[in-house]
Amino acid sequence: MTTRQSLVHGIRTSADYFLSTFIFGVMFGIAAQAAGLEHWQALLMCASVFTASGQFAALEFWQAPLPLATIALSVFLVSTRNILLGMAMTHHFDGHSLGRRITWLFLLNDPGVVNSFLQPAEVDRLGYVTGYGLSMMTSWLLSTFIGLNGAQLFAALDLGAVSFAGPLVLATMMMLFFKSSKTPPTPWILSGATALALVEIGSPDYAVLLGSVLIGMAAAIWQTRRRYG
Amino acid sequence: MAETLTAIAMMAAIVYLTRATGYFVGLQLRHIRGIQPVLEALPGCAFMAILAPAVRHGSPSEILAMACVVLIMWRTNNVVLSTVVGMLVLLLGGPYLDS
Repeated sequence: MTTRQSLVHGIRTSADYFLSTFIFGVMFGIAAQAAGLEHWQALLMCASVFTASGQFAALEFWQAPLPLATIALSVFLVSTRNILLGMAMTHHFDGHSLGRRITWLFLLNDPGVVNSFLQPAEVDRLGYVTGYGLSMMTSWLLSTFIGLNGAQLFAALDLGAVSFAGPLVLATMMMLFFKSSKTPPTPWILSGATALALVEIGSPDYAVLLGSVLIGMAAAIWQTRRRYG
Repeated sequence: MAETLTAIAMMAAIVYLTRATGYFVGLQLRHIRGIQPVLEALPGCAFMAILAPAVRHGSPSEILAMACVVLIMWRTNNVVLSTVVGMLVLLLGGPYLDS
């Protein structure tokens, strides 16, 4: 399958997360309007930053004068999983020029990476993830536009209740991981258990993330060594 | 206005760098035998590091919504159905379960 065909395939298979992203986008539009962002600024942020969790985190601190350092730290912390997503794609973007890889890394997104692992070997991963990313970007921009323009209509809804939508979407991706994995899910179970233990002893968010990923990585290395000797 | 544009540009740079950094660090590690399954396990570890505390601190409606999502995904693999049911549980069940 060529890169172009894989890109179209990525767009075609993204319907599920297109809709999930749409819900987030509407919420982001409403929240951005409430935070005082002009419409074009909110849309520029969506088009250039392209990460729901990071943008929501930034809005928490969005009041004049803007605390740039705090915004930078919060966006970095919630985006650290992108480092791991990038690492996971290391072996899958081969055969493309460095320029193309650097350019298209911009569209790297969680559901695209997760679903790319479920595709047959002939699918070009860079094309697939890019197609998926284009679909997510379209959904993100359209829904944010609707949220910005319909903020007053949604004012009566209890949006606090849907702030948990983020973990729900992550859970769907985690289930895809669990069901498609060819190896026992030990690293993920240990990561979750470690995160719970670290939360119980009052660790800060970055320590929870770092500690549990390190334990999961150690388990994955142990599992690989047992498998390959 | 300049301050807002600075913040947006800074956010865009940070997020792009997190995406690119992981990829290029991975390229440096790829010669290590058996590294691929380890790298591919990492995003799931990050998801679990976010999900487990979210459930631990969740309200009854949030825990119920999460259970519905996991169960529906397990049985059907249907992302839209599981997300919609989870959201409905949050929106409709919240006022009753969390009061």
